[in-house]
Amino acid sequence: MQRREFLKGSAFLGSLACINPVLSANAFTKGDKKSVFSVCEMCSTRCPIEISVKDNKGVFINGNPKFSTNKTSVCARGGAGINQLYDKNRLIKPLIRVGKRGENKWREASWDEALNLVATKLNEIKEKHGASSVIFTSKAGESHTHMSNFACAYGSPNIFSHYSSCPITYNMVLEHTYGGGLSRDFANAKYIVNFGHNLFEGIVISDAKKLAKFAAASDTKLLVLEPRFSVVAAKADEWLPIKPGTDVAFLMALIHIWLRDEKYDKEFVNEYCIGLDELKASVKDTSPKWQESITGISADTIERIADEIYKAAPKVVIDWGHKTTTTYAEYQRTRAIAIANALMGNYEKKGGIHTSKNTNTLNKIIGEDIFPTLDNPSNVFKVPNTPRIDGAGEVGNKNYFVSRKHGVLMDIAPAILSKKPYPIKAWVNTRFNHLVNVANVNESLKAINELDFIVSIDIYLNDFSNLADVVLPESSYLERDESIATIGNGYYMRNKAVEVIGDTKSGFDIFRKLASMMKIDELYTYTTIDEYRMQQAKGNVDLLANLKKDGIVTYKVPSLYLREPKTIKEFAKTYPQIKDKIDSNGELSSLINFKTPSKKIELFIEKVENLFPTHGCLNTTDYDVFKNHEFCLTSGKTPIHTNAHTQNIPILNELMSESPVWINETKAKELGFKDGDLVYLENEFGKIQVKLMLTQGIRPDTLFIYHGFGRNTPALKNIHEIGANDSIVLGSRSGYVCSTMVTNIGVDIKRA
Amino acid sequence: MKKFVMIHDENLCIGCEACSVACKNENQIPSGVFRVQVHAKMKGVFPNLQTDFTRASCVMCEDSPCVSVCPTGASFKLANGITLIDENLCVSCKYCILACPYNARFLNPITKAIDKCTFCYPNRVSDGLTPACVSVCPTDALIFGDINDNNSEVNKVLASKSVEYPKAHLGTKPKLGFIKNTKGGRYE
Repeated sequence: MQRREFLKGSAFLGSLACINPVLSANAFTKGDKKSVFSVCEMCSTRCPIEISVKDNKGVFINGNPKFSTNKTSVCARGGAGINQLYDKNRLIKPLIRVGKRGENKWREASWDEALNLVATKLNEIKEKHGASSVIFTSKAGESHTHMSNFACAYGSPNIFSHYSSCPITYNMVLEHTYGGGLSRDFANAKYIVNFGHNLFEGIVISDAKKLAKFAAASDTKLLVLEPRFSVVAAKADEWLPIKPGTDVAFLMALIHIWLRDEKYDKEFVNEYCIGLDELKASVKDTSPKWQESITGISADTIERIADEIYKAAPKVVIDWGHKTTTTYAEYQRTRAIAIANALMGNYEKKGGIHTSKNTNTLNKIIGEDIFPTLDNPSNVFKVPNTPRIDGAGEVGNKNYFVSRKHGVLMDIAPAILSKKPYPIKAWVNTRFNHLVNVANVNESLKAINELDFIVSIDIYLNDFSNLADVVLPESSYLERDESIATIGNGYYMRNKAVEVIGDTKSGFDIFRKLASMMKIDELYTYTTIDEYRMQQAKGNVDLLANLKKDGIVTYKVPSLYLREPKTIKEFAKTYPQIKDKIDSNGELSSLINFKTPSKKIELFIEKVENLFPTHGCLNTTDYDVFKNHEFCLTSGKTPIHTNAHTQNIPILNELMSESPVWINETKAKELGFKDGDLVYLENEFGKIQVKLMLTQGIRPDTLFIYHGFGRNTPALKNIHEIGANDSIVLGSRSGYVCSTMVTNIGVDIKRA
Repeated sequence: MKKFVMIHDENLCIGCEACSVACKNENQIPSGVFRVQVHAKMKGVFPNLQTDFTRASCVMCEDSPCVSVCPTGASFKLANGITLIDENLCVSCKYCILACPYNARFLNPITKAIDKCTFCYPNRVSDGLTPACVSVCPTDALIFGDINDNNSEVNKVLASKSVEYPKAHLGTKPKLGFIKNTKGGRYE
């Protein structure tokens, strides 16, 4: 591949911009300088940002000051968006493979040629093998929406997102237990129990800011259970280095104590929960003593903690975390967290957990359409009702509860290799690095080599793209407009900040164009992103104009907790419409609505028990992550990088250029290892070579690696063959019920 | 007269290096060198551990050794307490690097002049903005402002919290203070 010197190109564009500064609706503030308000894409959080642009060159990024939760804050990765934009290793021309698959021989092509090739091939494959023989994978966010729309139009049900490799469990558990998603009130809590939700390394700014202030306050308690002395552990009031995989035992013992001593919110449980008897039976034997040998936490300690939490309730958050991919028992672990919260009666209480009060919900609460709402032009696209390769949503299948728009990534490679339930011929991927982020890389590599045709849309020639037949370069988020999205009680929108560098296109345009070329676009009611936005806004031009100008529109609404009379009274002063809904005790119980089959919080879930016997209530089946290996390898996030996305960006690479494996110093010395020694981590799935980092900050039986290094792609010059890809030693078997990927895995160490 | 002070709350700091990235982009600092970094240091023996996050940057001494030793006058102080370097006068003799007890100065490989933190005075603070690092800090661990303004955030912090100064015993009277980490080190 030719190295493209687009920095030169951008300087050229810059000088053009000086002569003819027609860029967007945003006003220039100072000569040739302007601010564009947009949305970050350096991770999946989508923080509102402000980009300073000078001579059509992005020069600085900070948070959008109009978003009061974050203000001008942005993390290292967010700040480095500029450096990604101008990274010399970025893709800026469509590429067509000329050598063997994976040989890294390409020729540049025009968009017409590249898209024609994709359209022709996909049409051919559909005709010969049926649309289902093409699978579609994507990262989170808008890429997924536009890819899904295209896949539906094409006729394939095999649509996948990153879900099963990250948040699937907590989403499913909250849905099953409470009937929908919930927010954690970190700002007003008095006691937070954190199971390694490392918001100080996997940064979500709005939550990290609140948790940092919570941790620094003197009248609050942050309890962290984690095998590693992470940053969140370092900020805790108490850190318990729990044995990996055993959170579920700790939680079941906690619940055992509360039920044994009748220390839970009985009134709340009687009114709003079902399944207490089944819960009691499931934790009958999970005593503090029982958990001691499993978790490594003493019975006295857990008794004290159970008491502390109960006394602090309801201003308590037992945090379900973000990346819920620990053990095969992950569903039970997260369920136990959901149940523990319910027992503390913190639902719709200040400092507890609550439903999000977005504009839609507020309109319903108030009973009037006070705030503008959005339409969804993507609603017309339905996932075809034909069998998927992973059986997601099909009765009798292990993935029954998994959404057919997200699927189970780990099931892709086995399905391709076994040709069951039917042969797969092609793979279309947008912005997801399957070969670094999904378990069992060796199997995936074998599977990919079986395919006839692979298309990859990316901003880098990543490991997956390197095996593609056609690589389509996407514009970075600073170069493209996107649709309107909801944030808090308001909306925000990604606005283009600079002109496109080189020859790239937005994901929206790529899929829309393909759909029209392939004549499968009868359901599309839009051709441009402007039309899409206008349909979303239902013609509300004021809303659109403000979103273009400010990047965000939020409505000042008093905070409201449906079981907190003080906040309800305050809310009624602004919105007297709710007055006749208030109960005699000052609560808004008529608005509490659990969308579960029983209309209650389900401590026992009948529909799960029927399909997955013994999983309807808590159990400890298969929590062991060691599986007869000496160590458990755990992984997590760093504030410098996002999964497998940012490692090549020069400024971030300089701050963190590799990822050695953490090992307990005392243990390592016992085994004869020195700091920096090269070793193999090995198990039944694979073997990786890594450098050891000796530290006191981890349990002697646990190893830790920051995920995302170990790339095969020569085009990623800063990281080619540096560090290890931990997904190589992860197995493709998924967790029970929730089908989550399992990232805590048993390994042995061998000297390299 | 304004007098600028910065406070680094080590309890709020999470070592995420957002400050470092913002500084490099705002001030166009080339690769290999930094005006600011946060150093994380773990100490203790498992499981009794503590991790401290300290800011490494110019501390804006009132009594600045770097200014005293500079033979050309390139290193100079503004009345508002900020020490700057005039690139045109700097002859890269590195006396100031040797004299600085905070290891805060470096040779900029592009400009070939000595470089260091400026509290973003020339490019942001003189325009009424906050320094880039303060602006982006995800946890609001950096507080910046005018000590002569009674209502400023720095004065509120100085009044309510115990602020220390790095290597105070040297008598250089830094204008970058810190609130010491109190977390860690006491477990079952």
